Amino acid sequence: MDPMIEHLRDALEKVVGFIYPNELELQWSILIVMYPYVTGLVAGAFILASLERVFNVESVKPTYRLSLLSALAFLIVAPLPLQLHLGHPFRGIEIFLTPNTSSAMAMFGFIYAWYLMAVILMEIWLDYRAEIVGWSKTEPWAPKRMFYKVLTFGVTTVTPGSRRIDDVLGRAITVIGLPSAVLLHGYVGFIFGSVKANPWWSTPLMPVIFLFSAMASGIAAVMLLYMFLTWMRNRPLDMRCLDTVAKFLLTAIIVAFTLETLETIQKAYEAEEHFDILALLVEGQLSFSLVFLQIFLGSICPIILLGLPQIFGVSDQGRKSLYAVSGVLALIGIFAMRWNVVIGGQFFSKSLRGFTTYKLQFIGREGLVAAIGVLVLAFAILAVLIRLLPPWTKDEPGRAPAAGGRAS
Amino acid sequence: MRRLDRRRFLRTALGAVVAYAASCLAAPLARAQRFFRAPPWKIRTPYWGFAVDITKCIGCGKCVDACKTENDVPREPFYFRTWVERYAIRKSGEVTVDSPNGGLDGFEPMRDEDSIVKAFFVPKLCNLCENSPCIQVCPVGATFKTEDGVVLIDRKYCIGCRYCIQACPYGTRYYHPTLKVADKCSLCYHRIKRGLNPACVEVCPTDARIFGDLSDPRSPLSRFIAENPVQVLKPAMGTQPKLAYKGLDREVR
Amino acid sequence: MKDLDHLLRVAATFVVVTVGFLVVRGFLIPPTFGKLGHYRAAAVDDVKAMPVRYAGRAARDACARCHAGPVRDRASSSHRGVWCETCHGAAGAHAADPKSVKPGRPAKGEMRAFCGRCHASNITRPRGFPQVNLSVHNPGAACTECHDSHKPKL
Repeated sequence: MDPMIEHLRDALEKVVGFIYPNELELQWSILIVMYPYVTGLVAGAFILASLERVFNVESVKPTYRLSLLSALAFLIVAPLPLQLHLGHPFRGIEIFLTPNTSSAMAMFGFIYAWYLMAVILMEIWLDYRAEIVGWSKTEPWAPKRMFYKVLTFGVTTVTPGSRRIDDVLGRAITVIGLPSAVLLHGYVGFIFGSVKANPWWSTPLMPVIFLFSAMASGIAAVMLLYMFLTWMRNRPLDMRCLDTVAKFLLTAIIVAFTLETLETIQKAYEAEEHFDILALLVEGQLSFSLVFLQIFLGSICPIILLGLPQIFGVSDQGRKSLYAVSGVLALIGIFAMRWNVVIGGQFFSKSLRGFTTYKLQFIGREGLVAAIGVLVLAFAILAVLIRLLPPWTKDEPGRAPAAGGRAS
Repeated sequence: MRRLDRRRFLRTALGAVVAYAASCLAAPLARAQRFFRAPPWKIRTPYWGFAVDITKCIGCGKCVDACKTENDVPREPFYFRTWVERYAIRKSGEVTVDSPNGGLDGFEPMRDEDSIVKAFFVPKLCNLCENSPCIQVCPVGATFKTEDGVVLIDRKYCIGCRYCIQACPYGTRYYHPTLKVADKCSLCYHRIKRGLNPACVEVCPTDARIFGDLSDPRSPLSRFIAENPVQVLKPAMGTQPKLAYKGLDREVR
Repeated sequence: MKDLDHLLRVAATFVVVTVGFLVVRGFLIPPTFGKLGHYRAAAVDDVKAMPVRYAGRAARDACARCHAGPVRDRASSSHRGVWCETCHGAAGAHAADPKSVKPGRPAKGEMRAFCGRCHASNITRPRGFPQVNLSVHNPGAACTECHDSHKPKL
């Protein structure tokens, strides 16, 4: 007996009210929660990196390279949850072969390829090129030296003229990259926001909400990574940088939370045909993950915690703790938000007359273990990337790495 | 000479502006005149459609059984290409809906029949949308509308992403547990191409299901739609279903 | 020019990768894709090739050839709209090979439930449709003791 069918037979007992019979099976599982979460981390990390280059926010410089590498690591694993979830994973390539131009999901191929190839890889490469050329000559371990050699594309001299060109081009790519990052995550929101059959998803605000929560999650992730890695390397934290990043995090959370609230108010005020069932959904199956996790723990708490240093003087150590806690809470809250959108939107019937259930599976292709595996893989890739392309220079013993990673 | 040139230039420019403004003002009217667009069945022959007469359905479930037999639909109570719902509206105003096993085994009488104001059966199937959300969202072109208006699935090409199941407002698609692709009513395309009726139409004992050619004004379907007040499900979705219902109550969704 | 060398090489790589992808893509797209629309035209044939299980009303004459009596009875009775396969089940295989494939027929003990599927009184059925209260209408008796299923009116 197919375990899925076994599971669905049990679920049949737990249906509340009336659902269309085909709606018993909840089609998009935890992996599809993971997908917008990971893409959000990409977009957020990249936008943080862009702040330094496009808007010349000098103080966030120490996180610039780390942001780029995190964005790349998360971007590499981003398609994985999608592909794992497919009924026929090996047919996934068809999205690149015959993309249906009217399908938001098919646009993934284009946006992803563009973002990976033209934006992130190019920007990282331009930024690191001078060092790569150096490492291709000095690296003692042959395979690694070979890797750098390939990355030099055979041009082993760095002239001042080429540095200038690289810098201008890098800036230009970041300027293009910013709308690309917005597009990448806006499109993920559109995948849900454009499903008119589902009133929990169908709103033009969805891409914007996804975007700002993506920024919050990406900034929080890079901030925590920066704190963790600096601690690991036994170096002092650059508080000016951390304060600025935390301020951006606060802004992103406030905007995302405001948009979500506006959307809720609008839905409640218009009180269309589907309002009753959505209200029941929020009070019922989503009461913990939406009201407690997303709104209270993930939005209100970080806003208060991050707001404290803006109003009162808080010591360095105190701010560090506040930032760390807020970062973790924001990441939990935004994961809950993705869950509430993806899973929550499938709980109620499109007949607006009842609810189905979802039991998170642990093992299997669509289980919790696979989802956690995706996240772990992203961090593993990041660890490798940091080894290959260190975001900081080695010679800064004990002093604040204010000028940060960028080698001159 | 120069003055004259300037005056002529100004006059030409003014004329151009007035002409442009006039065309802008006239545009909405011109567009409105083109508002009517002939439906595809005025151009293509045949073009298949479907109708359900709710006032005739007795809820025997023979259609559900025939559909599962004809199309190898898994026999579990959560995979259906067609199913029958029962609506009961009570004196208290409460509406109860059920569809035990999709109506495949028929319907046991309800216990508290005295409190019922009205009750009726509603057979459901693919709504044959002209603007199909399922086709719109399919990332690879594995679901499509044939030239004669039927929405089909390419089982060899479907990647199993299930976006189409999310996009269907009517819940008519399911994920096939062994084939790992989306599945749905094909209007028994293999039958209608051989000149047969869909299986559900064949076995319906009360002619509550009407299948036919919308492009032929004398077909039983065209006549049924012309002679009866009919309605479609969720018209505000803009999906333009080619599945029409006679006797549709406002409680039906 | 020397300052641009590395970028030109990257651009060349990019072009090679893109062209390579387009070439590979050309080979991988199914041959009939796009012939009729954004789908595999051959998929229509796949669906058309599915097996037929119900012979359908088009087989009326084929049924009458062997079962002339029931077909004639039914044609003039209140069951004239009910097709053979509604009660007897899918009979496409039987029509193709009448000797070895026999369609079903309800057993006497199941008769009341079988007929009751349509005729047991149920408030949800349309008014005017013939219904009986099975618990008071000759309990225990098989329907066919009184009614001919092909010509049910007494």
